[in-house]
Order: sequence, then C-alpha cells, then structure tokens
Amino acid sequence: MSTVASALSVGGVRNSGTPVRTQNVMAASAIANIVKSSLGPVGLDKMLVDDIGDVTVTNDGATILKLLEVEHPAARVLVELAQLQDEEVGDGTTSVVIVAAELLKNADELVKQKIHPTSIIAGYRLACKEACKYIQTHLTANVDELGKECIINAAKTAISSKLIGLDDHFFANMVVEAATAVKVNDGKGGFIYPIKAVNILKAHGKSARESILVKGYALNCTVASQAMPKKITNAKIACLDFSLQKSKLKLGVQVLITDPEKLEGIRQRESDITKEKVLKILAAGTNVILCSGGIDDLCLKYFVEAGAMAVRRVKKADLKRIAKATGAAYLTSLTNMEGDEQFEASSLGEAAEVVQEFICDDELLLIKGPKQRTASSIILRGPNDFYCDEMERSVHDALCVVKRVLESKNIVAGGGAVEVALSIYLENFATTLSSREQLAIAEFARSLLVIPKILAVNAAQDATDLVAKLRAFHNSSQTKKEHAHLKWYGLDLHEGKVRDNKQAGVLEPAISKIKSLKFATEAAITILRIDDMIRLQPESKEDRYKNYDGDY
Amino acid sequence: MTIVKSAGDMYKSQRSGPYKDKSKPTDIRSSNITAAKAVADAIRTSLGPRGMDKMIQAGNGEVTITNDGATILQQMNVTHPAAKMLVELSKAQDIEAGDGTTSVVIVAGALLEAAEKLLQRGIHPTIISDGFQEAAIKSIEILTNMSAPVQLTDKESLIKSASTSLNSKVVSQQASMLSPIAVEAVLKVINPIRDTNVDLKDIKVIKKLGGTVEDTELIDGLVFTQKAANINGPKKIEKAKIGLIQFCISPPKPDMDHNIIVSDYAAMDRVLREEREYILNIVKQVKKSGCNVLLVQKSILRDALSDLAVHFLDKIKCMVVKDIEREDIEFICKTLNCRPIASLDHFLPEHLVTADLVEEVQTGDSRSVKISGIHNPGRTVTILLRGSNKLVLEEADRSLHDALCVIRCLVKNRALIAGGGAPEIEIALKLADYAQTVTGVEAYCFRAFAQAMEVIPSTLAENAGLNPIQTVTELRNRHADGGATTGINVRKGAITNILEENVVQPLLVSTSIITLASETVRSILKIDDIVNTLK
Repeated sequence: MSTVASALSVGGVRNSGTPVRTQNVMAASAIANIVKSSLGPVGLDKMLVDDIGDVTVTNDGATILKLLEVEHPAARVLVELAQLQDEEVGDGTTSVVIVAAELLKNADELVKQKIHPTSIIAGYRLACKEACKYIQTHLTANVDELGKECIINAAKTAISSKLIGLDDHFFANMVVEAATAVKVNDGKGGFIYPIKAVNILKAHGKSARESILVKGYALNCTVASQAMPKKITNAKIACLDFSLQKSKLKLGVQVLITDPEKLEGIRQRESDITKEKVLKILAAGTNVILCSGGIDDLCLKYFVEAGAMAVRRVKKADLKRIAKATGAAYLTSLTNMEGDEQFEASSLGEAAEVVQEFICDDELLLIKGPKQRTASSIILRGPNDFYCDEMERSVHDALCVVKRVLESKNIVAGGGAVEVALSIYLENFATTLSSREQLAIAEFARSLLVIPKILAVNAAQDATDLVAKLRAFHNSSQTKKEHAHLKWYGLDLHEGKVRDNKQAGVLEPAISKIKSLKFATEAAITILRIDDMIRLQPESKEDRYKNYDGDY
Repeated sequence: MTIVKSAGDMYKSQRSGPYKDKSKPTDIRSSNITAAKAVADAIRTSLGPRGMDKMIQAGNGEVTITNDGATILQQMNVTHPAAKMLVELSKAQDIEAGDGTTSVVIVAGALLEAAEKLLQRGIHPTIISDGFQEAAIKSIEILTNMSAPVQLTDKESLIKSASTSLNSKVVSQQASMLSPIAVEAVLKVINPIRDTNVDLKDIKVIKKLGGTVEDTELIDGLVFTQKAANINGPKKIEKAKIGLIQFCISPPKPDMDHNIIVSDYAAMDRVLREEREYILNIVKQVKKSGCNVLLVQKSILRDALSDLAVHFLDKIKCMVVKDIEREDIEFICKTLNCRPIASLDHFLPEHLVTADLVEEVQTGDSRSVKISGIHNPGRTVTILLRGSNKLVLEEADRSLHDALCVIRCLVKNRALIAGGGAPEIEIALKLADYAQTVTGVEAYCFRAFAQAMEVIPSTLAENAGLNPIQTVTELRNRHADGGATTGINVRKGAITNILEENVVQPLLVSTSIITLASETVRSILKIDDIVNTLK
C-alpha cells in the first residue's frame, strides 16, 4: 500500500485498514474513560480549567466533554453524541458515551477475529431494535399506576448522582413542583411541560438547602429609581421592547439650524417625543413597566410621580416569558394602525403582586400570581459559584427527567436493571439466530453490562459478584413466570446489594433509555464503518503546495 | 507526488541534454497510469453493500464520513493531473447518473491496468484506444440485450432499484423505509407531458439534526427551516392566503449617500411619522388583499422586515416568514404555484395562493413553519431528513441523493439490469467470445477489456470477505451455462440468481459507467507529454 499511497499524491496523511479502526476505537475509549468515573450516584466530579483560567466543577457528561475541546474526529463523534443526548433527553449523557465506546471496543475485538465489520453492524442494528422493543413491552411501568411518588423518585434518581445528592428529597420535591407549575395544555388533549419556563437563578451564599422555589417569576433586576415603590399589588404590567430614551433620529437625517432659538425647540422636542410615550403608557393605568432597553433619568421622573415601578434592561427572553405569563402584549412599538402612537389598556398584563425582595446580596424582583399562567422560579443557593453552576446543571437534568416522565408516562427501573435485563434477553435472542449476526448481538449484550459494572466499581463494590447476582435474578425473571417481578431488580450501590429498584424508587424515564440506546448504536456504527482516514494538510500550507506543484 | 516529480526532473534534463524520444512518452504514460490506478485503489474498499466508509479531515478541520466515490475524491484533493481526471470522471458520473461513482473509477483503473499490459507488449496507444472504444460500444450492446424494460407504474421494481443503491450506504438498514420515499418523491415530480427527465431540484431535502434516520419523512407541502418572525402574531393559520414578496418592508434607502435635513422641530415629527406611514401603507395593502401569511425574500441591502413592520403585521394577524433565500424562491413558487410579487402595486388578491393550514411546529429543539394542504399544488416534494449526528445526516443526504438519481435514471431510460456484478461478468464472457471472431491487434484489446470488467465482481467479493478468485471463476462458470442473471449475493455470501434477491440497477448507470470510463481511459492513453507553463 505504501507505494500506492505515495503515488496518490494527496496533500496530507492517509491511513487505511485495521490501524484506522483501532485508532478510532482507542480515541473513543479514551473519551469514555474520562467520563467513566463520574457515572452513578457515587460517581465523582471533574474539575476543568480552561485556557483563560475559568474553573468548572461538574459531573455531567455533556458538560465535561463540551469543555474538553477534543480534536480526534472519531472522538468528536462521541462528544456530539453526548450533546445530542443532552438536547433530546437532558439526562443520561454519561451513560450514552460509555455504552457507545464499549460497543466499539467489543466490535474491534470481533474484527480482530476476522468478522467483517458490516456483519457486526447488521448485528448491532438488529440488537438495538430488539432491545428497544423489549424495553417497551417488558420493562416499563406506567406512571399512573405508581402514583405521584414515582415522579419524585425519578427526579431523585437523577439528582442522586450529582453534587446535591444528599439533599435529593428536598430538591426532587422542588423540581417536581416547579415542573407541574408550568404545565400547559397542548391543545390536543395532552399536557406539555415547557421546562424552559422555569427560571433558575443562582446566588451564592448560604447553604444549598436554603434554595427556594418561588411561585411566580423572579427577575434579576431592580427598579430603576430608589424613589419608586418596592411593592405593588394588583400590578398592571407593560412589557416594552424599546428604550424610553431621548429620541434619536435615524442615520442620514441631519439637523441643520440657522436660528439659535430653534435649537432649544429641537431639544425640547427630543425629550417631548419620549415624554408623550410615557404619558400614554401611564394613562392606561399601568403601574409596572418592564423595559428591555434603557430608560432615561429624565423619564424616570414621570414614573416616580405616577407611583409606578419601572425596570430597565430586562433580558428579552425573560420579558417574553413574563408577557406570556401575565397576558401582556410584547410591544416593539406603540404605533397603531393609523400611524399614530397609542397605548391600549388591553396590552397590559396583570399579576397579583410585584415586589422587590432582598435575597442574599442581591435584590430580586418577583412577579407573583401572574394572571394567565402559573410560573415558577428556583433560586439556588450555594457556598460558591462553582457549586451554584453545578447545581443549576443538576436541577436542569432533573427537570428534563420530570418532563419526560410526565409527558411519556413510562418509566423503567434504574441501577443497571434495564441493562442487565436486556443483556440476558439479547444473549438468549442471539442463540436463536443461526447467521453471522449472532456473535455481534452477543457482544452487544455484553457491552450493555458495562453500565452496572462501572456503577459498582465507582461505588467501590465488588462488580463481578454483584453483576453475576443481578444476572441470575434477571435470568430467572425471564425464564420462570412466578419470578417475573425480579425484572425490577437493580443495584443498591450504598449497601452493595441487589434489590427491587422499582420499590426502592430508583426510576428513570423509559424514553431516555430507548433514545440513548439508539443514539449510542448509531454513533458506534458510524465510527465502525470507517476503514480509511485522510487528513488533509491545514489550508494555510496549501498555497505553498500549489506553488510547489507549478514548478515541476 | 514522487513519480510526477521524477518525470518532471527528467523532462528538465532532457530539455538540456540531447534529444531522446520514446522513453519520455512511455514514462509519462506510465506515470499517469500509476497515478490514476492509485486513485482507483483508494476507493476500492467502499464498493458494494459491504463496502466501508472513509473519514476525511479537511484542511480546515472539518470531518466528512462518506462512502460515495464522488464525494471521497472531491474531498481528497489529489494533486496529480491524471489522477484529477479520474476525479472529474467520478463527478461526471455523479451528474450523468448520480449513482455508480465508485464503480466508474474502479473500472477506469482496471482498464488502465489492462492498457498498461498491452503497451508493454508494444501495441501502439492509439490502437489500444480505438480497440477500447469498439469494445465499449459492443459492451453497451450486450448490456442493452440483457436488460428488462420497466414501467413507471411498476413501483415495486423502482423501490428495488432504489434499495440496491441505498444498501451500500450507512443508511442501509433504513433502506426499506427510505427507498419508497425516494420513489414516491420522484414519481410525484414527473411532468406527465415531458416524462423523459426529472429535475431533481424539484425535490427539496431538508436536513435537521436530532432523531434518527428512521424519523425521516416525506412531506406533502412546504417546510421552512426558520421560525415565524412574528412576536405576538399567530402561530397557526387555517385557510391561509399566502403571498410571496421580493420587496422589503422597511424604511427605503436610496442608492446614493443621502442626508435628510431637518431644520425645524415640527419636521422631526414628520420624519418619524413618514416612516410609520410608509410601512403602514404596505401593511394596509397586505391586509386589503386578504393575505394572512407573508413570505419575505432575504435582502442583503437592508432589513427585509423592520421591527415596526413586524409590529404592524402582528396587529393584522398575519404570519411572516422572513429570510427566504433567493435560490429557494423558485422552488417555493413551483410548489405553491404562485408568482413572486416584486412590487407593492402587484400585491393583489389574484396573486395570492391558498392553503389549508400554515403552522409553526416544534421539531426537536427548533421550530419550523409548515404549510400543508396547498390548493392547486405544483409538482414538487419536500423530504425532511433526520439523523443523530451531523456526519450521519450529511451522509444520509448523499445516499438519498443517489437513490433519487437511480430513480431518475429509470425515468430517463426505462430498463433495468441485474446487479451484484452480473452485468460485468456477462460483458466479460460475451466480449471474450467476440474477441475470438476478430483477428489482428484488436482481438487483444477486446480480450483485455473483457478481463478488466471482472474487476467489479472481484472487488465486490473481496469487500464482502469472500475469496475473489473462487467467486469470479464460479460466476464465469454459471454465466457460461446461460445464467445471465447470476451475481454475488453479498448478504448471504454466495452466488445466486441476483434477480430473485431484488438486486437490480438501472441500465443507464451501467452504460454510463462503461462509456465514461472508457472515454477517460482513452484520453489518458493519448497523453504523451506534460508541459508546465512556467509562471
């Protein structure tokens, strides 16, 4: 090959055949090894320091990988995989990477035994399909049967692996309450839970247990002037997406004055244009003005006189949500259909109370009891900024889990229960096939065991012993009818025992498991199909190459 | 690189030294052939259902994973001029047939190898070249004879041929799902009056990250990747009246530098008011025509839609989709059967089109606007392609393109032949027989051509992990016994009647492989000198 490769003058390096596959698999394993130790309730955290010295402490797979700046193209596939899982499901980012890497590792072993990669791919695909089917038919439980408790338990499971795991009960309740508060009817008889509507604020100082859930919308802003009231009941809210500043004329408009007296007139007019706007807004009975732009001190006067509360520089995303929650119109301009400026009372939103409260070092504005929708905000407290950041990610994961459980209403037992059940099932399934795929399916089954194994290892328990026990339980659950309830058995990592995880309340949304299996398989297959890698020279050098070519 | 350089060095030394003929053209030729063969070798492993993918990291760090011959070669950036010809060849096949881009390069490589042997025997290149041309003509005759006609109504056959193409790709498992989509899409855009060609531009493939390839769907209607520009506007409009405009709803700007001079405070109000009036005038016209969905073309000169315009359009409950690319306008017009409105004066009710429903839908993390139930729709379709990562998604797009091209080939030339190496072996056998009947140097060329064709089945077998020699000899044997449709069944790893396995491909793909490959080989053979004009 070497002679051919030199004749094929590519401006770069070319590798092909087995070395490429092994190299890709190694890169993938390296990625998995990084996040391995952070899996599970007793997983540990990573501290990442970037090139400008920013520190992140986290346990979340997607976040770790995002900050790593991986260069190897095959490893990048895994990083993207974690990001995708984060976007689509929100939780299970670590496990998806570990499963994908393990699938690759085992596939590489098979290739070394002279099994063609395409046979392995076909086997993996089949195994993935069967596994998803099996989860749906045999391993799920309906939320309605188990009652509300199980939703809290699912949230607890997600939180237990994080920094705030000790206070899992406290946070799980908070998260479930927050998610149910933003419930919206989707118009088709179901409900959706737009968890983005849960506003999460961080404030360091005090301990994590002192985090609070606020009914209503919390804003990290203060009133524009100290002379304004700090509390308004029966608030009428206007949401403005423009500044209330001295009006500036558009570019290309020049003011040319010949008479010095007119200068004063122009000046007067400048401020009057805004003044008219403000008066129109106030005339409609507004007493809270939220503005995404700035408000001139000059204009503040009018608000103070009217006893209204004005807030400037509200984030646009916040403003939109507040508009939705209070029923206010999100105004970008006051112009009406006649070309005049007008502020209608109908574009006001209402809330029971708007109050500025002193929480930790900061003053926050709380909008309580909005008219249209219930809103909720979580104010997280923690000893330092890293702690708060990590708490935010954990709460986000938990919120995603709760959303999935509430929307899909299906859960599975956690603690490695699903993986072990699937591996037993797939091994049996493999033996029923007489084609080449058999071996690949058996490997797929074996790869899944990596999750309970790592869980046990991270918890400093005897992995071999525990996994063997668990396999025995699941085997009898699948073979003997009377033992069917054993399928809920998973690991108890604190005690180092095997227990019924459904009863113990270690639960995960079924959709998260199914999706992570699908994504992991697809990523593994993508990498497995590669047998040739061509790295072209970076473009900056290419010009030199061209000149060189021209010389011969 | 090395060989070219050495040829170049030699060339320089010859220019200064005494004139020596013969050795130079031979060297150039052999250098060209070696380079071209190397290209063919590079993509050999990606042929067939068991072919593998290549990962290419471009100079700017971007990664492509693909199995498509044309894409690999294009990304590879080969530098040798003769090798570049093969890259061009692959591109030509991509344009002409869309599929078989790997095969065409492999065939060309094999033909060059054959030519090299003939050259060593002392046969003149032009004779080889002519011989190859005749052989190619003869081969096409053989192929046409073994093809079976197909009707466009015979959907099953069409789906079969699309699956054959998809089976070699990363999406092979979803072939059973994607091929009906491809067939459906092409059949929908055929114009019954001129049904001999299909413009694949009428099939729009929208790629969206998230989900798996299985979630791909054929959409009856139109999908925009952007969300509605409205802020408080409607998200769902039933009985929509849609207008497509090419002008902007924002303050106008003259081409030249301009200044508006204000000398009076009353004039300030007028300036502000004028802008509002101008936009209001447009919006009122929109409202008067009854339009409630507005599609606005992207403008690079100024904002296509000012904030004020959005505010007004919200008020009249009109949904707006902005930033529509200029090249998409044609497709949209075709789909909706409307005319783009270029000036406000033409914004009249008769230029609007109606649809049952326009709504903003959430797919994954992003939102998009979907138009369905178009009255009087044009002959276009949209395919929404999904994939779990960017690389898979892009490869799925290329694979789908190949499948669409296969169906297009069948529309152009309605005949199918067996796949799995069957036609190539048949050519090899028949051509070898024919070679017996001619005398002279041509007979040699014919035989060499025939042998070169065996490269396809042999590579297929090799990639599938079978023994190439055994497989090819067995195939030859079966074909000699009259089994013209026996080919390699890669899935089962055996030789079977390939038609029973539903492995079929359009005749056009095979004929174009042979014509294009032999033509390229001929032009490479005829080169006997490389001259570099000095810069």
